[in-house]
Amino acid sequence: MSELLYNLSQLEELAGGSQEFVESMVDTFLEHTPQQVIDLRAAFDANDMDSLGKLGHKIKPNIDLFGITSLHEAIRVIEHNGKHGVNDPVLEKSLNTVETVLNETFNQLRDR
Amino acid sequence: MRNNYTFGVQSSSFRMNELKIFVVEDNELYARTSQHHLSLNPDNEVEIYMTGKDCLQNIYKRPNLIFLDYSLPDISGIEVLREITESNPEIPVVMVSGQEDVKTAVELLKEGAYDYIVKDENAHERMWNASNNIRENAELRNEIDRLREEVDIKYDFSNIKGNSPSIKKVYKLIEKAAQTNITVSITGETGTGKELVAKAIHYNSKNQKNNALVAVNIAAIPTELLESELFGHEKGAFTGAVNKRIGKFEEANGGTIFLDEIGEMDLALQAKLLRVLQEKEVTRIGSNSAVKTNARILVATHRNLADEVKNGRFREDLYYRLLGLPIELPPLRNRGNDIILMAKYFVDEFVKENEMPKVQLTPEAQKKLISYNWPGNVRELKAVLELSAVMCDSDKIQSEDITFNSSGQDLSEMLSKELTLKKYTQKIIQHFLDKYERNVVDVAKRLDIGKSTIYRMIKNNEIEI
Repeated sequence: MSELLYNLSQLEELAGGSQEFVESMVDTFLEHTPQQVIDLRAAFDANDMDSLGKLGHKIKPNIDLFGITSLHEAIRVIEHNGKHGVNDPVLEKSLNTVETVLNETFNQLRDR
Repeated sequence: MRNNYTFGVQSSSFRMNELKIFVVEDNELYARTSQHHLSLNPDNEVEIYMTGKDCLQNIYKRPNLIFLDYSLPDISGIEVLREITESNPEIPVVMVSGQEDVKTAVELLKEGAYDYIVKDENAHERMWNASNNIRENAELRNEIDRLREEVDIKYDFSNIKGNSPSIKKVYKLIEKAAQTNITVSITGETGTGKELVAKAIHYNSKNQKNNALVAVNIAAIPTELLESELFGHEKGAFTGAVNKRIGKFEEANGGTIFLDEIGEMDLALQAKLLRVLQEKEVTRIGSNSAVKTNARILVATHRNLADEVKNGRFREDLYYRLLGLPIELPPLRNRGNDIILMAKYFVDEFVKENEMPKVQLTPEAQKKLISYNWPGNVRELKAVLELSAVMCDSDKIQSEDITFNSSGQDLSEMLSKELTLKKYTQKIIQHFLDKYERNVVDVAKRLDIGKSTIYRMIKNNEIEI
């Protein structure tokens, strides 16, 4: 996958020209989000829908902030289904997508 | 527990434009982005709190604005909001939430949230705008606080000066008047400070001091305009009524209306005023429906309203309704040493305002002030002293620096009335009795007449005591 999965323009805009701030945000993102992806999978495996929904809710604004538009729908499915305890095929598919895309995004951000 | 953070946030200790902002958000990335973005304005000082508990424990830092995440890990956002609105209702709280849920938003606004922002791509911009709005509000609020303080100082009791028994009696009555909503009628000669008393009552009243004091000088408004001035009118109610207008009574709702020179009101309008006071509602001219009014009433006049009633110039029923707690302001000539006390005060104030060197009153000048009869009362005293401060050539005001405009005219004015000697005698004795606390023995001695003469006149109702 050579196409960039993320878009930092919103973050850069909010940074008001501070590249240092953007870097620090990327570092923080890379520091915390991989563990959150692991936690997402673990919650799903344990059928802990409540934790799954809450994690989804927490990750959602970061996905938006980093302009990962391909996950716009999927992360909302996780949040919504988790909250309402709906374990259906769409949820699993969404989780797979989130996992794959985020892991690839981490690589792209590290290799920037 | 709550007491840990019930600190008052009455007035911000920050410079006018500075805004202390709390971002309460457990998502570190989001919180730091908000912090960074809001801090692009150097006047914003942004602190991050990751939990509701942290936020509440730091509320004593008196933020001007709080952005509060709806879903916090420890206490729910709505709980934190409730705590804040209860302990520090003046801090605006903007709720920030990942949910686009109208029901939640409405509930939060009902709970006292200032605004509700959804975490979408415009969220940071909306936070930025909210902080700018709050800054403007904070500036206005600071300005209001400042003006209110100024007003409180200005019309604090101490603005009415004097130690004489007659003015001390007035202080007591003002205190009584300020404790309730009773109607107060203030009488006294021109220049005795009726308006100051009205202000002192209003600004010392617990119930009213935060609301408007609406003053209307009945004598200053043409009769034909007075009705619409007091009660308002609807658009097109009469020629020239181009727009709807709210009357002074409506404007004063919840506060105080001060009707100065009430004795000058014509009889037709007196009837309408009586109706308003009885029904506690006003009807704008040209309107069919009445509006409730709940204004506290203060009236003042230099006339003797009882006499006006007797002469048919003032409605008796209105007189009794307005009488309430009567406060009679003593004329300056009866206030003895207060004259000197106030004279010194006015001179000091005047030289301070005009950055002149300090001046003092010589004993002769003081004597001259005491023996004058001050028909214009305190207002005249102030004018005379300011003129003398300008006229004097040294650091002392001599008696020749003091000039009275009405000097010498009073006796001739009194004589021009061509009363009988008996009437003049009564007037002179009455004047002395008023001046010397109704002390018959003292007055008899001063006028070198027998006590029995005075007692006989009192008995015959020729003079009042």
